[in-house]
Amino acid sequence: MADELRIIDNDVTQYIVVGLGNEQYGIDIKYIDNIVRMQRITRVPKSSEYFRGVINLRGEVVPVMSLRIKMGLPEDEITGKSRIIILKVDQSGSIGVLVDEVKKVYNLRADDVEDNVSHDSKSGVQSFISGVGKVENGLVSLLDISTIIGEVDI
Amino acid sequence: MDVGQYLGIFLDESQEHIQALNDNLLTLEQDPENEDSINEIFRAAHSLKGMAGTMGYKRLQRLTHDTEDVFSAIRGGQMKVTSNLIDILFQALDAIQGYVDTIRDSSDEGEDDNESIIAELNKFLEGGGAPAAEGGGAAAEAAAPEGAENQESADGDKAVYRTIVLEEAQKDVMKDAIVADKKVYGFTVYIDENCMLKAARAFLVFKAIEEMGEIIVSDPSSQDIEDEKFDFSFSIFVITGEPMDKIVAAIKSVSEIEEVVGEEYNEEMVDNNGTAPEEAEASSAEAAQEAGGEDTAAAAESAEVSVEHTAAAPQAETAASSAASKKAAPAKKPVASQTVRVDIEKLDILMNLVSELIIAKNALVSSAAQMSGGSNSESQVITENVEYLESVTTNLHESVMKVRMVPIESALQRFPRMIRDLEKKLGKRMQLTITGEETELDRTVVDQIGDPLMHLLRNSADHGLETPDVRSERGKPETGSIFLNAYQEGNNVIIEVGDDGNGIDVEAVRRKIIERNFIPEEQALQMNDKEVIDVLFDPGFSMAKKVTDISGRGVGLDVVKSNIEQLGGDVEVKTKLGEGSTFIVRLPLTLAIIQALMVLVGGEKYAIALGNIQTIEDIPVSEIRLVENKEVIQLRGSVIPIIRLSDMLDAPEVERNNENLIIVVVKKGDSLAGLVVDELMGQQEVVIKSLGKYINTSRIISGATILGDGEVALIIDSNALF
Repeated sequence: MADELRIIDNDVTQYIVVGLGNEQYGIDIKYIDNIVRMQRITRVPKSSEYFRGVINLRGEVVPVMSLRIKMGLPEDEITGKSRIIILKVDQSGSIGVLVDEVKKVYNLRADDVEDNVSHDSKSGVQSFISGVGKVENGLVSLLDISTIIGEVDI
Repeated sequence: MDVGQYLGIFLDESQEHIQALNDNLLTLEQDPENEDSINEIFRAAHSLKGMAGTMGYKRLQRLTHDTEDVFSAIRGGQMKVTSNLIDILFQALDAIQGYVDTIRDSSDEGEDDNESIIAELNKFLEGGGAPAAEGGGAAAEAAAPEGAENQESADGDKAVYRTIVLEEAQKDVMKDAIVADKKVYGFTVYIDENCMLKAARAFLVFKAIEEMGEIIVSDPSSQDIEDEKFDFSFSIFVITGEPMDKIVAAIKSVSEIEEVVGEEYNEEMVDNNGTAPEEAEASSAEAAQEAGGEDTAAAAESAEVSVEHTAAAPQAETAASSAASKKAAPAKKPVASQTVRVDIEKLDILMNLVSELIIAKNALVSSAAQMSGGSNSESQVITENVEYLESVTTNLHESVMKVRMVPIESALQRFPRMIRDLEKKLGKRMQLTITGEETELDRTVVDQIGDPLMHLLRNSADHGLETPDVRSERGKPETGSIFLNAYQEGNNVIIEVGDDGNGIDVEAVRRKIIERNFIPEEQALQMNDKEVIDVLFDPGFSMAKKVTDISGRGVGLDVVKSNIEQLGGDVEVKTKLGEGSTFIVRLPLTLAIIQALMVLVGGEKYAIALGNIQTIEDIPVSEIRLVENKEVIQLRGSVIPIIRLSDMLDAPEVERNNENLIIVVVKKGDSLAGLVVDELMGQQEVVIKSLGKYINTSRIISGATILGDGEVALIIDSNALF
């Protein structure tokens, strides 16, 4: 049983697919700590515009970033489907990203992922994409989480 | 013995001994004849050696052993304290510190034998030491016969059991035993001073004896011994059928027992015990011979060991007497030290738990407040209990906070030594004065404040103070003074570090800024003094005219500033050209939980630390004046600038009362400022949480807190508004 699992792990990466506007994006599940419903966000003055503010996540204060604004898309519309995805990268602490909705989990084999996409150069979105994955009903842009989070510092 | 578990104790204690050596060497340098210091140094070096030996650190032991030999020669008057000697001793001390640091990092003492220092030490021993000098061994030989002579009389003093006043019942038991052809012995057992578990050793001695006989009397009582309420010796009376040397051997078989003194008692001696020491003397000589057989055998084993023994004996007395002078006679009033060493991590966990508790309590308070609308008795009871809970959590927090508070002293201890070394290196004369070492701060802050303060002191020594000839030219005393003053002010601790040197030459800094093109010339020319000085704290800008290894490597004030800001504090400078400069470091008393005033600005909740608030005022809008285009108010004779928080915080527009302003007057040092808020919500205990490093914000937001209803409110650092 354990052997089987390991074989799957080696070859397949799991992505959570989220919706932003009309597009869908995949986030590697290894970065995801938690997914929470929309809640009251406290605005933090003088912070970068893509930061919506901070939330209380079980007693910890966690900053929340708008993926839409970060990627140059129109302002978020908060609906019942809006979710905050809590990402955890190494030792740097948690950070939340606001998305329109969480769709489903896909298992993508390495063959299904195409790296180095360079067709769409009209927006800044591209630099946050690490590749494109093929799923049954179309394509998913895979988000490069370390770039999205990493750029915060600059 | 597995010594691993004692590593922590070893590190802590050796650090204390090294510090004691440092302090006393400094005293000795000023006052070479100071006997207290010499004794203290000897004691510390000896303990250090013993500990190193127990832990099996051979190199450390060897170095401390040779150092101790030098001190022993000084103490014995064979050697004079000279400045060269002090230099070598400081080098040895640094090497010892080096070993300890290596042990801390790797629990191994490393490979460095420090031969050159040992050679230097031995050279001193040969030069100024005993006549037939051959390093430590020779000194040992020289001291050995002397020690043997002393042995006898020392034994008399050491037979503490003779001074015990026996009760009648005890005397009867002993006499009965003697009549019944059993033997009664009195013993005084000395435990090695470096023994860490003396109660355990004493227990083993008791156990060994009780296998062969019965312990009739014990002084101190067995209960006190069990509780470690004794110095390094205890006396007992034993009834047994076994011969004396068998008992002595049994006692000596317990490790870390340094010496056993004892004799057989007859009826007369039992009667006279504690009353007539002279009479006992004669019979003791016989007994001493008997028991001494073993002693002399041990002494013959090696001269080295015997010298250590004799060295240790007087040392025990001086240690006891110096301890006595410090701690008000521990012999009579047992200072069963009521302290516990606790791992700081455990305190961190405790503090976090208290924080969680306070958040939960705040949640309860806010739901109780919502319920209290009903007038039934149930909600009454809940409200009362919540209030009780509130006072308990507040006290709990204060207690935990106090536990974490330590005097800032430990961070400052190394500075006198550092200044001494700098004095030699820089060829300047300087005097460091430290006040307020007892000021208490959170342990975490104390641990981290040392480096920034060291930078500031080095800065003063290197850049602040002028060379002696320049100083005398300017009519200042040749010896420059550097000071460090710590004191508490409200919720902050202030540490001032400064000197009476040259002060900061603002125009020189400005020229430098322009020269290096750090800031465009036109802009640089328009900056006021404070702005120019602020550039000194900028990363990458260093003022050193020449690069020395003391400061001026391009890291310095900017590191100081960022370190202090990480601790939630800030630093500012006061300087006057030609008269000196003072760096004022302001640190929060605690890092975790504060009392805060909650205010509403633009519909958003903010917390302001209560400790920074002077008063709260209700001021008609008509009283606002404009001075240099800035809004001010007049308050009891002083003019106070007002700051509209809604502008500072880009707060959403809300409808405001346009006739009166609510102004929270905050203070920083001597200055005041008025913060305009929309509404006051009351006082609350808040747990400070970091915003994390992802989100960037204004300096005036120092953190966030979680309110009772789960909402996050930001904390305003009013010190950043000035």
